[in-house]
Amino acid sequence: MKINFRSLLYVLSIVLVMAVAVGFRVHAVNNLPIDYDEDDYLRAGQEYAHLIRTGNWSGFLEANYRPEHPPLAKIVIGLSILTAPEKQLTPEAATSAGPNKYLPRVLVKPARIVNAIFGIITVAIVAVINPLAGLFLALHTFTIKYVSQIMLEALPALTSLIAVISYLKWKQSKRSGLNRWLILSAIALGLTAASKYLYCVVGIAILIDWYMDAREGKTVKSFLRTAALWGVLAVVIFFLFDPYLWSDPIGRLGESIFYHAGYSSSATEVTNASFPMWQPIKWLFFSPRVWHKDVFPFPFDPYISTLAIIGLTRLWKKERLYVLWLGIAMAFLLIWPTKWPQYIITLTVPLCFAAAEGVFLIRDNILNLWKARKTHTNRSDFLKAETRRALPWLVPGLIAFAVLTLFPLLFQFGVSLTNFNAASIRDGFNGGIWRAISQGLTGQLPTMPANIGAGPDKVNFVGLNQYPKVFSFITYSNNWSVLFFNISWTVLSVLLQGGLGLGVALLLWQNGVRLGKFWQALFILPWAIPEMIGAMMWVNIFQRDWGWLYLAADKFGEHSIFAVFVNLLDQSFSFGLVTLLLPAMWYGFPFMMLAASIGLKTIPKEVLDAAAIDGASIWQTFKYVTWPLLLPLLIPAIIVRGIFAFNQFYLFQAYGFWNSTLATLSYNIFNPTNGFGRYGGQFAVSATINIITVILLMFFVMLFNRWSKAGAGVTYA
Amino acid sequence: MHKISFLRQLGTQAALLLIGLFVMLPIWGMVRLAFDGTLKGRPTEFRLLPKVWSFDAFMQVLDKPYQSVDFQVLLKNSLLVSASAALIAILLGMSLAYAFARFRFPARQTGLFALLLTAVLPPVAFMTPLYIILSLMHIRTTLFALVITYATFAMPFCIWNMRAAFQAIPKEIEEAAFLDGANDLTSFLRVTLPLALPSIAVAGLIAFLMAYSEFTLGWLFVEKADTVTLAMSIYAIVQTQYQGGAQPWSYLGSLAIIMSIPVVVVFLIFQRTLLERMMFGSVGE
Repeated sequence: MKINFRSLLYVLSIVLVMAVAVGFRVHAVNNLPIDYDEDDYLRAGQEYAHLIRTGNWSGFLEANYRPEHPPLAKIVIGLSILTAPEKQLTPEAATSAGPNKYLPRVLVKPARIVNAIFGIITVAIVAVINPLAGLFLALHTFTIKYVSQIMLEALPALTSLIAVISYLKWKQSKRSGLNRWLILSAIALGLTAASKYLYCVVGIAILIDWYMDAREGKTVKSFLRTAALWGVLAVVIFFLFDPYLWSDPIGRLGESIFYHAGYSSSATEVTNASFPMWQPIKWLFFSPRVWHKDVFPFPFDPYISTLAIIGLTRLWKKERLYVLWLGIAMAFLLIWPTKWPQYIITLTVPLCFAAAEGVFLIRDNILNLWKARKTHTNRSDFLKAETRRALPWLVPGLIAFAVLTLFPLLFQFGVSLTNFNAASIRDGFNGGIWRAISQGLTGQLPTMPANIGAGPDKVNFVGLNQYPKVFSFITYSNNWSVLFFNISWTVLSVLLQGGLGLGVALLLWQNGVRLGKFWQALFILPWAIPEMIGAMMWVNIFQRDWGWLYLAADKFGEHSIFAVFVNLLDQSFSFGLVTLLLPAMWYGFPFMMLAASIGLKTIPKEVLDAAAIDGASIWQTFKYVTWPLLLPLLIPAIIVRGIFAFNQFYLFQAYGFWNSTLATLSYNIFNPTNGFGRYGGQFAVSATINIITVILLMFFVMLFNRWSKAGAGVTYA
Repeated sequence: MHKISFLRQLGTQAALLLIGLFVMLPIWGMVRLAFDGTLKGRPTEFRLLPKVWSFDAFMQVLDKPYQSVDFQVLLKNSLLVSASAALIAILLGMSLAYAFARFRFPARQTGLFALLLTAVLPPVAFMTPLYIILSLMHIRTTLFALVITYATFAMPFCIWNMRAAFQAIPKEIEEAAFLDGANDLTSFLRVTLPLALPSIAVAGLIAFLMAYSEFTLGWLFVEKADTVTLAMSIYAIVQTQYQGGAQPWSYLGSLAIIMSIPVVVVFLIFQRTLLERMMFGSVGE
């Protein structure tokens, strides 16, 4: 019975996901305005449709409008408009031309529908594997947009997924040679290549996964043989479905590939867009809802991406290949100089798998907390007696703790429900805040919309209206995401601090290093110096115009290394990050060094001697002996530094008057006006950011709890 | 493990020297400012060493570092505020820490979670609501408000650490005291507290240092010159620079050095203990 119920639920959820996918895509097909490039690909389709109608099959050898992309996806567009009335060929336009608004609807609609159908099938396959991931893909606004337009994305997105899925099927079947799944995988990869090259990154991901498996099972030889067959088959299929290549394979293939290289460096629309290197990551935290408000009801994308980050490690344990796919596609997009948003469709499928795992991870954590609570309430009798004893201790401390820390946070939540700001400061400090909160919560005051900016001179109750606004400011605004920066900042600075700290600890740990005590004392200095003073020391170096660096550049002329550095700093936004990461590393590495030093001392010398006797090299000893013993001891330090980096405030405050876009949430609590332009004194906005930060840190603490428990189990004393 | 070869020693020292330069670079920048007797405002030319070595800035700062307020007044404010904040955090938090260390009661896990959460929040998360609350109470610009604010910053951290300290003391010792007729309170005062005192003192020391060296947030709680602390007068020098007032930047450097020296000494002496405290005592549960 239970199994039946579960499978019913499973089928129902797939149906539901499909309904969502169909609904959103049909809506998008009907309502999306004509976008860039749609005219080009429609024209390519029209050419193919004409060839088919006139039976001019040899024409396929020569026809390929916009030859930089292989023809298959364009042929499919041609097939889709075959039954539609023939219209005049769409005029040719430069790649930099704006969208052609006058495309005939009778052609646009069938072409878009066929693309959307591929998109829906993709969702269906994902949903069968994991309904939640399917739901995310069905909702992902960027994916909806680009599979519902006359673009080349829908077909290769589907075939690349098939290539991966059938490879995984083959892997499960534990066969070493070719079977029908592997053949299907190769065919799908070949079709992908014949539609759009970019999507072939899945091929690389598959090969890496395959090789990792082969290395573990020591079957590299058989891997090489089978993979070569698989690759050849894919290439053959690619040629079969790319008739344009038949007459001059090498020349035309070369042309189309070199086109991309030239395009990305010379085309005016690419250089005009001047996207930074990390633009693809930005796209992931962005949503086309900004462009098409009526088509997309909600910007799901940043949330899906955030969940995906959470679920990444879990997905790796479950199915490594998806993470490889995501990672390689991302790496490729980061390197590739052209940064069009549609390129991220190459990785939205694994992204949604990761997001689903993120949800499961959060669910498991909450369930565990719940279970832990339950087991505690069971021993109630014993508990009653002890609670009575605890009460006289609890009450005074609890009162103090509540008054000093919990009450301010609660109060802050109250302020976040109002629109208290500089304009209403007089009213607010004379009881207006209390009036707005208490009467608002009891329904005596109407809930006003939250208009951030110069407000009225009386404090109003806005309920939760402020949260969506502030949250969207945090996740993405002005082409920038504070949350994304905050998370990357945390990861980057902890990596740098940890790397340097561990490195120094290892250097000092070597037997017989001279001056060890002196160096250690010197290296502790940055940790001992109060953070704000340390930050000012760095400002004294990097401050524009009168920092040490700028003075040095003045003195040593424009060809000195200082001047080069100054130029980089003045021109490149991302280089500003370096001037922040250096102090962060400076300030944080001593802590990691000390933690690592203490950890290293606990490693028994005998183990290392044994490794040396076995002839292990330095690197092998580190990798197989030192590191596994050290890591559990380092994890608490890493988490503490991580929390610290996440909260980093003084550094940004000291740098604040210079580059305010690169800053953490803490900085934004203190300076909420940073994100909201010219308006000053946004107390309510600050409160809202504060509450959101507290909620985010709750996740950190959960992680801390989990890791410390994991770490406590492994002690080497 | 045998001793490393001469070549490896050389390479190691070279690497350490490089990192040492990285560590010293910004510190030296400040030292150079502090000892330069020729500075009229901000530095205007690149120098590795002061143009004229001078102790004038130190003398001036030790006399009247901020407006016309005496160094002693500022130091007194600093010590008063920091010590009161640390004492409040320790004394008011102590009973709660003991309850969490010794007894089981409903919602204990939730309480621990709340405790740890508040301990990892950035100070600014408490500062913004306290600013409004203390303004509402019309006491924001007093030294007492500053004490409350810094005590709030430190309290969750102190509670968490005291709890770890109490937990480290075996229950059996207390139970022995019970046999001699002591109750919960007397066994705590006579047995547990004296044993835990060193660790509590370190937690208090960290709270003290935090309040002692904080100035960015505290600056908002000040209106009159007589409630300024030593650390804030550093910020005052930075601020006046932006408002057009020119004070020699050697003041900034020398005050920063004077401020930092006691903290650095404490850190060097207690490095291991401080590290353990900052990793929240025994880690986690």
